[in-house]
Amino acid sequence: MTEEIRVVDRELGELALNMGPQHPSTHGVLHLKVHLRGETVVKAIPGIGYLHRGVEKLSENLAYEQLAPIFERNDYLGPTANSLGYVVAVERLGGFEVPRRGAWLRTLVAELQRIASHLVWLGTLGLDLGGALGGGTTLYMYCFREREKILDYMEELTGTRFHTNFNLIGGARYDITPELAAKAVDLANQMEACLGEMRNMTSATAMFRGRVEGIGVIPRDLALSVGVTGPVLRASGVKFDVRKDAPYDAYPDLQFDIPTRTEGDALARFEVRMDEIAESAKLVRQLVEGLPDGPIFTRKPIKNPKGLKVKPNEVYAAVESPRGELGFYIVADGTFKPYRLKINAPSFCNLQVIPHIAPGLLLADVIATLGSLDPVLGDVDR
Amino acid sequence: MGTTMRNFFRRSITVQYPKVQRPLPRQWRGGTFALTFDPNTREENCIGCRLCEYICPSQIISVKLRKGEKRENGVGATYAEQFTLDYQACMQCELCVQVCPTDAIVMTRYLADCPSSREGLFLGKEKLEQQGLKLLEQPDLESHATGKRLREWTAATRGLPQEEEPKPAKPEGEGKGK
Amino acid sequence: MNWLLTLLLSIAVLGVAMTCVAYLTWLERKIAARMQNRIGPFWVGYPHGWLQPLADVAKLIIKEDITPKNADRVLFNLAPVMMVVPSLIGFAFIPFAAGLAVVDHPYSFLLFLAFASLALLGVFAAGWSSNNKYALISSLRMVAMAVSYEIPLLLSLLVPAVLVGSFRLTEIVEAQQGMPFILYPGIGQVAFVVFFIAMLAELNKAPFDLVEAESELVAAYNVEYTGMKFALFYAGEYAHTFAVCGLAATVFLGGYNGPAFLPGAVWLLLKMVGIFVLILWIRWSFMRVRIDQALMINWKILFPIALLNLVAAAWWVVRSGGAG
Repeated sequence: MTEEIRVVDRELGELALNMGPQHPSTHGVLHLKVHLRGETVVKAIPGIGYLHRGVEKLSENLAYEQLAPIFERNDYLGPTANSLGYVVAVERLGGFEVPRRGAWLRTLVAELQRIASHLVWLGTLGLDLGGALGGGTTLYMYCFREREKILDYMEELTGTRFHTNFNLIGGARYDITPELAAKAVDLANQMEACLGEMRNMTSATAMFRGRVEGIGVIPRDLALSVGVTGPVLRASGVKFDVRKDAPYDAYPDLQFDIPTRTEGDALARFEVRMDEIAESAKLVRQLVEGLPDGPIFTRKPIKNPKGLKVKPNEVYAAVESPRGELGFYIVADGTFKPYRLKINAPSFCNLQVIPHIAPGLLLADVIATLGSLDPVLGDVDR
Repeated sequence: MGTTMRNFFRRSITVQYPKVQRPLPRQWRGGTFALTFDPNTREENCIGCRLCEYICPSQIISVKLRKGEKRENGVGATYAEQFTLDYQACMQCELCVQVCPTDAIVMTRYLADCPSSREGLFLGKEKLEQQGLKLLEQPDLESHATGKRLREWTAATRGLPQEEEPKPAKPEGEGKGK
Repeated sequence: MNWLLTLLLSIAVLGVAMTCVAYLTWLERKIAARMQNRIGPFWVGYPHGWLQPLADVAKLIIKEDITPKNADRVLFNLAPVMMVVPSLIGFAFIPFAAGLAVVDHPYSFLLFLAFASLALLGVFAAGWSSNNKYALISSLRMVAMAVSYEIPLLLSLLVPAVLVGSFRLTEIVEAQQGMPFILYPGIGQVAFVVFFIAMLAELNKAPFDLVEAESELVAAYNVEYTGMKFALFYAGEYAHTFAVCGLAATVFLGGYNGPAFLPGAVWLLLKMVGIFVLILWIRWSFMRVRIDQALMINWKILFPIALLNLVAAAWWVVRSGGAG
């Protein structure tokens, strides 16, 4: 907890400000109630639920086969990771095996989507810090220009740019030709090359560093006790990544590092995510190089969704979405629908740290902190 | 600042959309649906089996079956009496295309014409067949991902050494779109 | 018939200034777009959207005029006027030909700065009268920034005045016929840089646009303004910027002096637009600073430098025995 609270004058009253659901910088419909004294925040309470769509209840009424595209809409910036989490959970539940090529293809798409999601994070961080009529928009345009290349590639591979419905229970859905594989390597090289330009616009400028350095520090104990995950946790000094600690799909066979920092401030989170983009590019190259041959799906062709029955069982499986550890807890009762499906959303866990670190920050710092935590409200509210 | 000055002199990446169309990829999912016909016998492919209705996550398809005369191409003797697809809630997941045993429902590579009222988005059987007839004339407006091809790509024996089929081939002859 | 000449001249200057301001919005959008690999306005007046300012004005005129329920009515309606009018008055003091300005006053330089500060008062009035917490926060920031950055602004602008020995803008320009003040070794460049940064802060341009920080305070002081009043703020901001660019061009870059193949007024316009483009370039490249960082920059960096610069300029004048 921050010990020193920069309260300017005790005679000034508190201003209760709604950084309400409609706000250009709250990354979705987040209702942040801040109490200000002057410009210093005294209390900040996030209010969520504006994007609740009842996905967990919906999943009690749909069959296992039908559910994979629904979860992509959860965290709409890293869709493949979401449906991958579900698919991995059902595979563990039902004991389905995934062929190696299918697993590698799924990982390839997941890593490309991780780069795309981090590019969105970077662009919107620029918007938060720089404003819609200023340097932030320039950074935003550059990030989206790069991201368009990834989305166009997904369109060639699968047919849609974004919610690609690539993962099936038991494998992947589309296959990759040698030209597309070469194009993926090309894309990875381009993404790594564009990082230099992004750094030029951000951490090479004194203004950006002044806005993020030392802001929103999450100490290691606070991070562990509140339960933040993902790059936020890694920036506070905890070296935990689901891809290394509980690997799934192709990750046991791949070499990659996990970027970690110890300072825990917004600059550390920025650096961790930038390094993650470089690591994902490396992973994409490895995946294309070592792509095994064979089928991509092992079950019989999907006919009636009522055909997939799972014995009564329960499982918890986690994957690493761009935001952190995304967990699915499924309870099966022998029919073709799940009995209960609970999603452990990373953005939800990350948001809970805000009441602890906001007091003492200036209003502009709250925005920078929120941007560096990278919540996606679809994930928070499900 | 140098970055912005360098980008000032680069070419713009804007595509002036309606005047300049970009080539659509071969298996584009962004278009509308069509109920196809057999190109040889011009009979409708849909056998009214309702698999697409059962698998759709948004539950937007509704089909009614009717028994009829046997088809020439031997597909079956059942037809769909009614077939409604509520395109408002479609999330373009292609599961319906994947399960269709006769490749009856496919997605198209041209955009749906924009209706001016919501009722226009309820695609009834006539509208879908009309779009299917359009596909008979211009077969490359059909998305490459039809039910049979999707099942072929996800075949459990695909790419294994005992098969002679080239791996991981898509049918050659057409370059990928773009 | 001196007053008739002044009236005609003022109408002419105002006309030219307002047209320039309208097309400066177009220029900003085009340059910003090119820096972001886009095209900018293109279809409105094909090609390249040169009718875009007219379209903007037309759109803003036909919008509904909303006044919030508990807003301070008088101040709410007066604030846009308080911002636009002093900005436009600034154009009256800028000389555009030898000895010719709409108002040629012995203290025209100080009058310009006085009117420029009035425009900032309009911004504060807008924030206060809107009865909106976001606007209130922004006007608080505005007051802190405006009051602080006035000092280096004035101190750096005093350097040419000290070098010339007068506050009359026409004399300042005439004294630059040999060499504009920005080229004076050491003193000129430092004064220009300090003036430029202080000007960015006064005009609320990035990286100092925390007053209208759209990502935190959602268009801050003009969050409750719609329609024509918003158009007045929008145009007033550009007019204010252009007027202060005019001051910069006059005082530091030599005003209407220039090689004879173009008339002096055109040179003045070119210099003003040049400084405006420099402001744009900086605006679209950098993130914004926080309020306490902005104040820190002012009091700990700009103010001492400006003061020392002024002392150095005064010392130089004494040493060289008069204006250069």
